[in-house]
Amino acid sequence: MAALRFVWRARVTAARAAPELGSRRVFTAERVVQVAAIVGLVVAPAFTSDFFVSFVLTQALLLGVVAASLIFLAAYGGMVSLAQTLMFGVTGFVIGNAVTTGGSKGLNLGLDPWIGVILGVGITTVLAFVLGAVASRSTGLYFLMITLTFGVIGFYFFGQVTTFSGFGGVNQVRSPPFIGTPGQFPERLYYVAAVISVVVYLVLRYITRTPFGLALQGIRDDHVRMSSLGYNLWIHRTLAFTLAGFVASIAGVLFIWWNRQIDPASIGIGAILGLLIIAVIGGINRLDGAWVGAIVFVVANNYVRDVPGLNQIGLGEARFNTIIGFIFLFIVLLSPDGLIGIGQRITRSLTPARMHTSRDPGYDSGSGSSEMM
Amino acid sequence: MNIAKHRLRAVRLLVLVAVMALFAAACSDSSDTTTTVGGSATTATTSGGTEVIKLAVLSECAGAFGDFHGQDMAGVGAAFAEYAGATITNPDDPTEGFTGASIAGVPVELVGIGCGDDTADTAIKETRRLMEQLDGDIMIGPLSGDESIAVANYAKDHPSQTFINGSAGAMDTTLEVQAPNFFRYNSDGAQWNAGTGDVAFNDLGWKTAAVIMDDYSFAWTSGAGFIAEFCAAGGEVISRVFPPLNTTDYSSFAGQLPDPDEVDGYFWVVGGSGTLPALKAFEDAKGPVTPTQHMGNLFWEFAAGSMDPSMEGAYIGGFGTAGDLKLDSVEAHTAIIDKHYDTIPPFGEAGPQAHSGFLVNYYLAAKALIEGLEAVGGNISDDQAALQSALGSLVLAGPYGSTTLDDNRQAIQDQYVRQFVTLDDGTLGLSTVAVIPTVDQTFGGTFAQGSMPSRTVPGCDTRDLAWVGNSISVVDGVPQG
Amino acid sequence: MKKSSQRSTVQWTALVAGWSVAASLAAWVLVFANGTPAEPLLSEPADFVVVVLNSLTIAGLYFIVASGFTLIFGLMRVVNLAHGSFFLLGGYLALEFQKTMVGKTRNILGSDVGVIDWVLPLLLAAMITGVLGLIMQQLFLRKFQGQDMRETLITIAISVILADLMVAWFGGIGVDIQWPGLIDNAVVVFGIRYSVTRLFMLGFAIVVGIALWGWLQKTRTGMIIRAGVDDTSMVQALGINVQWVFGLAFLVGSALAGMGGVMGGSFAGLAAGVDGQWLLNSIIVVIVGGLGSLTGALAGSLLLGTVTAFAPAYLPAGFTNYSIIFTFVLLGAVLAWRPYGLFGEPE
Repeated sequence: MAALRFVWRARVTAARAAPELGSRRVFTAERVVQVAAIVGLVVAPAFTSDFFVSFVLTQALLLGVVAASLIFLAAYGGMVSLAQTLMFGVTGFVIGNAVTTGGSKGLNLGLDPWIGVILGVGITTVLAFVLGAVASRSTGLYFLMITLTFGVIGFYFFGQVTTFSGFGGVNQVRSPPFIGTPGQFPERLYYVAAVISVVVYLVLRYITRTPFGLALQGIRDDHVRMSSLGYNLWIHRTLAFTLAGFVASIAGVLFIWWNRQIDPASIGIGAILGLLIIAVIGGINRLDGAWVGAIVFVVANNYVRDVPGLNQIGLGEARFNTIIGFIFLFIVLLSPDGLIGIGQRITRSLTPARMHTSRDPGYDSGSGSSEMM
Repeated sequence: MNIAKHRLRAVRLLVLVAVMALFAAACSDSSDTTTTVGGSATTATTSGGTEVIKLAVLSECAGAFGDFHGQDMAGVGAAFAEYAGATITNPDDPTEGFTGASIAGVPVELVGIGCGDDTADTAIKETRRLMEQLDGDIMIGPLSGDESIAVANYAKDHPSQTFINGSAGAMDTTLEVQAPNFFRYNSDGAQWNAGTGDVAFNDLGWKTAAVIMDDYSFAWTSGAGFIAEFCAAGGEVISRVFPPLNTTDYSSFAGQLPDPDEVDGYFWVVGGSGTLPALKAFEDAKGPVTPTQHMGNLFWEFAAGSMDPSMEGAYIGGFGTAGDLKLDSVEAHTAIIDKHYDTIPPFGEAGPQAHSGFLVNYYLAAKALIEGLEAVGGNISDDQAALQSALGSLVLAGPYGSTTLDDNRQAIQDQYVRQFVTLDDGTLGLSTVAVIPTVDQTFGGTFAQGSMPSRTVPGCDTRDLAWVGNSISVVDGVPQG
Repeated sequence: MKKSSQRSTVQWTALVAGWSVAASLAAWVLVFANGTPAEPLLSEPADFVVVVLNSLTIAGLYFIVASGFTLIFGLMRVVNLAHGSFFLLGGYLALEFQKTMVGKTRNILGSDVGVIDWVLPLLLAAMITGVLGLIMQQLFLRKFQGQDMRETLITIAISVILADLMVAWFGGIGVDIQWPGLIDNAVVVFGIRYSVTRLFMLGFAIVVGIALWGWLQKTRTGMIIRAGVDDTSMVQALGINVQWVFGLAFLVGSALAGMGGVMGGSFAGLAAGVDGQWLLNSIIVVIVGGLGSLTGALAGSLLLGTVTAFAPAYLPAGFTNYSIIFTFVLLGAVLAWRPYGLFGEPE
């Protein structure tokens, strides 16, 4: 009973079942989308402005990587972790403290940017293991709240402990010469982020099919049975959390190269909820939802104020959060599997009717999937 | 059921269409700016000169200072309307901007208003939007300390664009970062408090003081102004207490302060929602003290509306403004604001807001920019080098006096010490009691690059400050000098 | 077999480590805490008493806010992450009411505020936030009852919207609700000066706690609620309208948030972002104490209150800003020992 309380547990089961049920058809459709996405990533810089590439796309890709770490835990481990923003931020702060050479807050150790990367990813992964070890004994909402608390304490830590940052944050963080200074090679970081996104996607997908990944999903679905089969639930969850922390820390490296600055607000409650919103908008049960959510979020963040008429009804640029909050609310109320779910349903409504019911029973009952609870 | 089903589907479709529309908006935006060269905005220029100057303003529309969005924009708008022939779009809402400005025959277009929330993170994102997406040539802003440090660092990486600080007062912004294209015509937090140490030591007779300040860079800067001057005059700061920003329970921090019989006075730099709770925690722990045993920085000005009127007589540090001075330039400034704006939301009528620190600082920034552009005939085609050098050597006349810049492009200007007074309606107001002439940022070498205000800097040393003992007292709004 | 022996080794290690940490902390406070703001207990006993009182009184405030949060979870299995928003909204509303009642918008004095000018705004604000909570439950959550993660996400969405709208309506600058003049002073007992408002806060929390306990344990409604939690379908079969009970839980829980907002707004001020801060406080309290347990909320409040008051007082003077770490230590220590909190049970 308790194990089935999560809405997307059931959903994910349905989504995973999908390829088997309609196999050839869906397989090709998915392939087409994937190939189109890769081609799109490669050629995007040729068709858009530098700003769009260096600000919107790069930001969306790196946020997508963090969101993917969240989705990986949520969809395959049943662990909705709100600490991913913290992992991403810790990497940024460690690199910031390690590579700045003075004139900034923090330790100003002046190390080589690559050593900074090793330190940042290393420390974050260790921290992820420790936090994961504490949090992984709990599940469900408890886990969500514990990780939320980690995230917010992290915000206060970097804000209040002025040795490492303070609320003003760390500035002038150097990137490796390969990435260069802002405006020097705007496309390089984009392609780095694109390649990392693809790799992260493939690796996480691969992991879900390894014995470890399967055990994780088993624990998600029926922890009692897995436990009696001799699986150590805690170790599996902790390792999954550590892996997700590692993935988030890679995004943290991209972020600090991209932004050259990080401050507690980058990982505060707004950022924490922002990441959750990204995951939910895209579709929290599918890895690719991470990037869909991220691009929608970044584009909305940047362009929603240009939509005519919004200002007249009191929803100008200042009220961005109200708008994004309503989008989020609608998605949660209407489509728990996010935009990807909406997309799938639209495609499906164009295909013969017999395919629906078996794949997604009772979806349009208007009450989500309450019968699965 | 069927109807519900269809309605649901329709809503989903609507969401999808909305998302696609957004993308369309994003793409159309990006396609007409494909000529931009990353970072340096050269689209606006041709070989012969400048066709149009693109101005961006970074203001605040969220966060603690979101209420001052209108005042910020009124400052910029009034300057452009008065000195560059701009037409204010809506005299009841400054945030709608202005059109039709031109300087030396070159049109100036307001391409965007950034929406900050007093965090560095958002400030940088908004700056990038303004300067990279909207191709701003020049940006006025931001408003608050941490934001300005981040923006000054951004400026350093983008030398062919020019940045003029809005109202931020962190010392690092100019003295530490020293970006050659970042200019600040307002004082920093330490300068604003010039005069308070002098008043405490020489007028109130404090020999020792305790300082309680929020634990972040603007508060350190602000507290540093008092400490440096009080110690320079011969006083001793015997205790420094640092509650973290937005502490819920100040009792432990109030408890750290020495008792009233162990120290002559307390200097307060606690802002946000903490100003009054911190004072109350102090009173709970130490008992009531007289108003002249307390002194505060400009945070007390923000909290004046909720303060106990028994604080009458307490001195507070300045914010670069002195609207109660009886000077022609003060009246002229009020008239300018009154002329171009009727109301400035959310505080109502425009005239009474003419001397708000945020409005005045954004106004000064815009006025400086106009004068700088006039000096170069509106030509910024040389990667703005001439403009930047003109800005550096301006002598800028403001409502209360003139401002010049030092080598780090930081304002040197007069400061004003104020005192709480009870107004006719029984509420607390501020009255200027002293003018401190030409205060510079370094406090006679107390501060320098590499020794920025922090928990331990400045130490407590006696030294000669040019302005100590030279302050001009003000009686009924008339400076006596 | 091997597993259980491992576990007991781990438990032993944890137990020994826990007690030695507790013992060294006690020794630190008792004898060694020189150079801290409060100084060791043996040399400055008065400071110690004040710090203990501080921890109890702030714990009272934590309890009022967190009790609503834990009540809603205990009955409905909903983590209401809009709890902080209701807190802030309650505070702002009470401030508006107080301004109207006193007839002043600026410089409201303690002497302007009679007891009624504080109590009535408190009740009104609590009522309004309670009704808003009820509306939120009926409008958005009822439909998804049982899908707890989805319900939680809905409350997050509402908190995002409310937080932004409150900035638009009430501005971003910090404001304070004025305590009634009657209690806005200090008492001196045995040479120790202490704030009456803080003692009032503690007293108020005790009253709220007893009322909640009495309501749940001694009244028919309370019994139905507890039965409804244990076996919803059985209660329904008995002809009792469970939905009504669930709505009531949301009403009371959100009203407690609003009430906490008025207390918190009088004690620590209101500003944008305060909602998140108090949500965090509530979450820590219930994680430590155990979700859904009133006793747990009490224990969690006391522990968090202790950390809040002791950490800045007994850390060396230059390091008081590290006190946030102790919140984390508290959390980690409790969770390592009991993953579902002191009085919580696994879901």
